[in-house]
This record gives sequence, structure tokens and C-alpha cells, in this order.
Amino acid sequence: MDLAFTPEEQKFREEIRAWVRDNLPQEISHKVHNALHLTRDDMQRWAKILGKKGWLGYGWPKEFGGPGWTAVQKHLFEEECALAGAPRIVPFGPVMVAPVIMTFGNAEQHKRFLPGIASGEVWWSQGYSEPGSGSDLASLKTRAERKGDKYIVNGQKTWTTLAQYGDWIFCLVRTSTEGKPQTGISFLLIDMKSPGVTVRPIIMLDGGHEVNEVFFDNVEVPAENLIGEENKGWTYAKHLLSHERTNIADVNRAKRELERLKRIAKSEGVYADPRFRDEVARLEVDVVALEMMVLRVLSAEKSGKNPLDIAGLLKIKGSEIQQRYTELMMLAAGPYALPFIKEAMEAGWQGEHVGAAYVAPLAATYFNYRKTTIYGGSSEVQRTIVAQTVLG
Amino acid sequence: MDFNFSDDQEQLRDAVRKWVDKGYDFERRRAIVKAGGFDRGIYGQLAELGLAGLYIAEEHGGMGMGPVEAMVVMEELGRGIVMEPLAQTLIASGVLSGYANDDLKSAWLPRIASGEALVVLAHQERKARYRLDLCEAKASPAGNGWSVTGDKSIVPAGDQVDAFLVPATVDGKIALFLVERSAQGVNARGYVTQDGSRAAEVKFQSAPAALVTKDGLTALEHAVDIGIAATCAEAVGALDKTMALTAEYMNTRKQFGVTLSTFQALRHRMADMKMQLELARSMSYYATLKLNAPTEERRRAMGRAKYQLGVSMRFIGQQSVQMHGGIGVTDEYAGSHYFKKLTQLEMTFGDTLHHLGEVSARMQDTAGVFA
Ligand SMILES: Cc1cc2nc3c(=O)[nH]c(=O)nc-3n(C[C@H](O)[C@H](O)[C@H](O)COP(=O)(O)OP(=O)(O)OC[C@H]3O[C@@H](n4cnc5c(N)ncnc54)[C@H](O)[C@@H]3O)c2cc1C
Repeated sequence: MDLAFTPEEQKFREEIRAWVRDNLPQEISHKVHNALHLTRDDMQRWAKILGKKGWLGYGWPKEFGGPGWTAVQKHLFEEECALAGAPRIVPFGPVMVAPVIMTFGNAEQHKRFLPGIASGEVWWSQGYSEPGSGSDLASLKTRAERKGDKYIVNGQKTWTTLAQYGDWIFCLVRTSTEGKPQTGISFLLIDMKSPGVTVRPIIMLDGGHEVNEVFFDNVEVPAENLIGEENKGWTYAKHLLSHERTNIADVNRAKRELERLKRIAKSEGVYADPRFRDEVARLEVDVVALEMMVLRVLSAEKSGKNPLDIAGLLKIKGSEIQQRYTELMMLAAGPYALPFIKEAMEAGWQGEHVGAAYVAPLAATYFNYRKTTIYGGSSEVQRTIVAQTVLG
Repeated sequence: MDFNFSDDQEQLRDAVRKWVDKGYDFERRRAIVKAGGFDRGIYGQLAELGLAGLYIAEEHGGMGMGPVEAMVVMEELGRGIVMEPLAQTLIASGVLSGYANDDLKSAWLPRIASGEALVVLAHQERKARYRLDLCEAKASPAGNGWSVTGDKSIVPAGDQVDAFLVPATVDGKIALFLVERSAQGVNARGYVTQDGSRAAEVKFQSAPAALVTKDGLTALEHAVDIGIAATCAEAVGALDKTMALTAEYMNTRKQFGVTLSTFQALRHRMADMKMQLELARSMSYYATLKLNAPTEERRRAMGRAKYQLGVSMRFIGQQSVQMHGGIGVTDEYAGSHYFKKLTQLEMTFGDTLHHLGEVSARMQDTAGVFA
């Protein structure tokens, strides 16, 4: 056993650090470090910088143009990006749909879709959930009927993150009602500019617009946009889910935010209050324990083992930690977290703050982060899966 | 011992509940948030019901009622997440009745009772957090009266009200003053808060002030305790409604072919929420029934009550959102507004850690409801 990274890994980290320092625009990291509102351009700009370097698809194998990094290298890259204040990579293209296209798509689809994902030019959205199908995804109803060389798609998706910017959406659609619900689902790529696609905003409780409803009204989709075989979409979707892993625990961002929490608590004077400090200390142990758990998963992956039973826990704990640091930041600001001045969450706002400038987004972020234990597989559903691995 | 409500109290509850149901539905509330988080017309309606004069003696035009009636009213306003600051009126009328001289009482109490004047506490300062003994605002004699200089934060409806109760130091000791908003040297910058209601930053620059009492810290502590009891009751109403919304959702939302209420993980969660609700309700009663106790006993009770309410509000609020899934984090759904209200109430008059500190500091060798 050895906790340290190898000298090569350490060197790799330093290279990444230097590169990120030289290439991450300061306006963007300022926003990230202060939880200010990121525009589409901010996210796209960083994606394109990474894309140019060949690192947007940093998890991709070499044959598809990725850097072919090991699990540890990927982790170090994520960590350096997070600590430097890079925006999270919008995962739908490079992290979610790309591996599915690589694994189950044909050569034509590889050529057609992967370059736009790798470069950050094309914005993808994830169209899984429906009003009646959340945790019970297999019950989804959006229909895709084959008519000659086209599918005609009708139905509604919901909670579609950032679909207002979307160029393309990958959808689970129902192509058959025979047999078990899981067996009639297909994986379809849909151009969002197709006639019949409508995107309607859902405003979140913090006043932000990050999710949408997406309606399909007789949308014609060329049959060549089907991934793999008809009615096999559920298998591909499960493959996709198994791809997030350590990534979704986001322990690196937690480390950065813990640091910010301490800064805020110091500046607000509560860091000296043992009662508050102990809460931060508790969180600190949580973060370190999560990081150790992540490192164990990485080590197992490095040696070719796959301890899935721990990987499932990362989402549960990681999302709870995310909620907790936003909660403590809000509480650190105390009554000054209460004013809701929406414009103050935009970078460069010149108006008068209430209290310190950094408090403006704290409560809104706390409210918004209640989502983390709901999306990407709710904590309840995750716990059921974990229980199954323990109990059989 | 008797925890039943009298017929009169039940009638009062019914009247307020009817008003909330009819005059303050969710759409109405949404419109008020959009318009800036405060509606003087709505406040006028509360006053018409007699609520602004609830704590004010009949000789000054009020109803001469007590903490239990106030609790009943605040529960119902909490159930409807009403934003107009009636708790502040309870504070102002309690403090003026208890500490001001007869002239000040006659000048203000009848106007407060009728709803013509709205007076709120302006005590929050930048460095004080929830402590009441830290105060940088200063007062000095000016002519026949006084003048106050200082900055106060997050004053409820601060740019819409008629006057403020302002703690400020005289010779290093906190005194309490009444300052009119229209007075010279008063400047209020308004904004909405997280729950949609209104607040303001208020600056006093040599503003003419009337002295309420030189024993300002005692009066301020009393003021905040009236506020804590009211906040606890308001929270109970909001918690009650949050539970009802969640139970209704559990019984209608279907996943995997059955309602969510069939999943044991969620059923047990509902049981834990019910536990927190009833602990909260019990402690709200406790706060209300100790409001007229001797200072030390009253202060200890308020710390204990607000701590429990804070724990309950956070647990029930968070769990309710979680159990609603995606719907729970949308602006459109009423439940998310209850969650934000509960969060704001937790941070009003001292958050949970602050009151844990209060309980800890006042802790004795034995403990119980009567100690
Ligand atoms: C901010 C946000 C972004 C999202 N982005 C996307 C996106 O880009 N694309 C996309 O396709 N989807 C997205 N989602 C949808 C997300 O995956 C679903 O919200 C999630 O799967 C839960 O479904 P639901 O909201 O319908 O809740 P429900 O499934 O109705 O669940 C409600 C509650 O019941 C619990 N529950 C359900 N079943 C069980 C059970 N069997 N046992 C115990 N408890 C149970 C849940 O855990 C939850 O607490 C997003 C959601 C949010 C909030």
C-alpha cells in the first residue's frame, strides 16, 4: 500500500496545472470561485479551449482522438481543473453520449458525431426523463414509429438540463410496447432544430433557468440516427450510467468549495465560533473520507478490478457533501444570506450589495443544490441499488 | 394544565384561515412577490380583522389579547406563507406597551392598532450577527429629543413602513428609540428577500428620534423574544402545510406502477417528519406559554424553542423537497416556496447554532419544562 502518487503521476499533475493556469480565462475562474452566473458563452469557451487541446474528451481512448489517460490521470486532470476554478464540463456530449456512440454506434456515426463533441462545437442534451417517468425510467412513453427510412417521434421529455442551448439531444424513446418495458426502448439522436421540437423553460426555485421541457410533435428523425439496434436502448443507457463514477462524486470541487467555505466563515467572523467550526470540521472529515474512497476506486481500476459496490456510494455521499457545503456557506453568512438580489449574481454588477459581495449567491446556491440528491439517480434509488449489492 | 384552545381562540383561527384561503391564495402571493414583496392593502386587511391591534390594550384601540391568540394567528399566517410582517407589529405593540411613556403610547398604539401605522424593529447590524448586545449605532440628545446615527440591515419592509424601533447606544449603553421613516436623515433602500418578502437597508444620519427606553437591551431582548414566539408559531403553520403537501404528493405520484406512499423508505421518512413536526409544535406552545415568564426563564425557553424549531424546519423542508423529486425544486410548485420560507424563518431572530449556544450558555444542572 502506498498513498502517494507516482513521480510520473506527480509530473503529469504539474503539467496539467501549468497548462490550466495558462489557458483558463481569468474572468471565468473568477465567476466559478464566486459562484456567479455562468453564461452559455463561458461554458462553451472553456469547452472549446479544452477541445482544441484534445482534452474535452479527456476520458476517451486514443483511437477516438482522446488522450488515452489512465483513471488516475483523469482524476488528476479533474482535480487540477476544479481547484483552478474551471467550470464543470457540461457532461452530456463528451462524458455521456460519446462513449455510447463509440461503443454501440457505427463507423458512419463515429465520423459524423464525435468530432463536434470533441471540439465543443455541438451542444448536447440528455432526453431521458418524462413527466410520468423519473425514477421509473423504463415506463417512458415518448413514441418513435418507424416510417420507411425515418422515425416519427411524439411525446415529451422533461428536466432537460440546459436544453435551451441544445443543438442535439440523445433520447430514450419507445419503439415497442411488447414484452417488459425495458425491452421496447431505443436510443435515438435528434437534431433539436428539426421541425416539431419545442423547448419550454422550467424556472427553478432559485429563479434560475437550467432545466426545460422538450416537446416532440411529429418530429422526423432519419433512421440512421438510431444507435445500435432497435429496442436495445436500455442496455446502452445502462452502459452510459456506469460511465459516470468517480466523476459524479465531484470530490475535487468539494475540496475547492470547502476552502471557500472557510474563507467565508473567517470573513463573517463565525470561524472563531467553536460551534460553527465543528460543523466545518465534520464536513472536512466527510470530504477526506470521500476522497479516500475515490482513490480506492481509482486504485482498483488501475489494477483492473472493479469495486462497483463502492462506486455506487460515491454519488450518495458526494451529493450530500455538495448540499452540506452550500448549506454551511449560507449559514455562515447568517442574516446577510437572506436578501435576494438577482443581478448581484452576475459578474461585473456595479450595484450596492447587502453585506459582503460574496454572500449574494449563497442562499440561491443552497436552494438550487437540493437537486443534487434528486438528479442522476436519486439518493433513495441509489440506496436501493447499494442495498441490493450488500443483501443480494 | 390545558392545551386546548378556547372557543374564542378557535373562532379567531377560523377567521384568519378563511381570510388566508380567500384573500391570500398562491396566485395572489405570487403577484405580491412580483410587485416587490409587500402589499400595504393586504396589511390593511389584516388590520381590519383586528390583528394589528391584537397585543394592544382596548383603551388604545386594540383587542387586548395575549400570546396564545398571537400564536393562533401566526400559525394561520404561516400556513399561507403570508409575507406582510404581522410579527413585527406584535413586537412593536408589545415593546411600546411595555416600555414607552404614556405620550408615546397614545401617539402610536391606536395608529398601530388601526393599521394606519406600521412600525418594525431595525436592529440587525453588520458585525452583530444574531447577538443583541452588539450595537454600533449611536444616539445623542438633540433639542427636546434625540438623534440617531447608524446603519441597520434587513429591516422587514423597511422602505414601506412608517417607523422603526432602533437600538442605539447612549454613553456606551443600548437604549431604544422610535424613528419615523419620513424623518430627516432616514434613508431606506428596499429589496426582496429569499422568501419573496421585502426588506431594506436603513441608514440613519442624525435622524430625529423619540426615546422609548434607556433600558434598551432589556427591551430589545423582550422584543426579539416576542418575535421568536411568533416565528415559532408561523413556522408551525408552514410546517403543517408542508407536511400536508408532501403527504398528498406521496399519495398521488406514481412510479413503478404504485404511489410513492407505498415505499417503506419514504413512509419512514414521513414518520420522522411527523416526529419533527410535533416536537416543533410542542416547543412553539412552550415558547408562547413562557412569553410572560420572568426574563431569565423566558430567554432560556426561547433559545430551546428556536433551536428545536430550527432543527424541525430544516429537516422537514429538505425532506419535503427531496420526496417531491424534480417538482420540488421548481418555482412553479408551492412547496418550494414553503421550503424557502422555512429556511428564512430559521435564520430569523437567531439560527439553530446560535440558539444551541444560547441553550448551552444558560444551561443548569437540572432541566425541564418548569425550569
Ligand atoms: C436539476 C435537475 C436536472 C436534471 N437534468 C436531467 C437531464 O438533463 N436529463 C434527464 O433526462 N433528466 C434530468 N433530470 C431528471 C432526474 O433524473 C429526475 O428528476 C430523477 O430521476 C427523479 O425523478 P422524478 O423527479 O420524477 O421523481 P420521482 O421518481 O417521482 O421520485 C420522487 C421521490 O420518490 C423517491 N422514490 C422514487 N421511487 C422510489 C423507490 N422505489 N423507493 C424509494 N424512493 C423512491 C425518489 O427518490 C424521490 O425522492 C434532472 C432533474 C433535476 C432536478
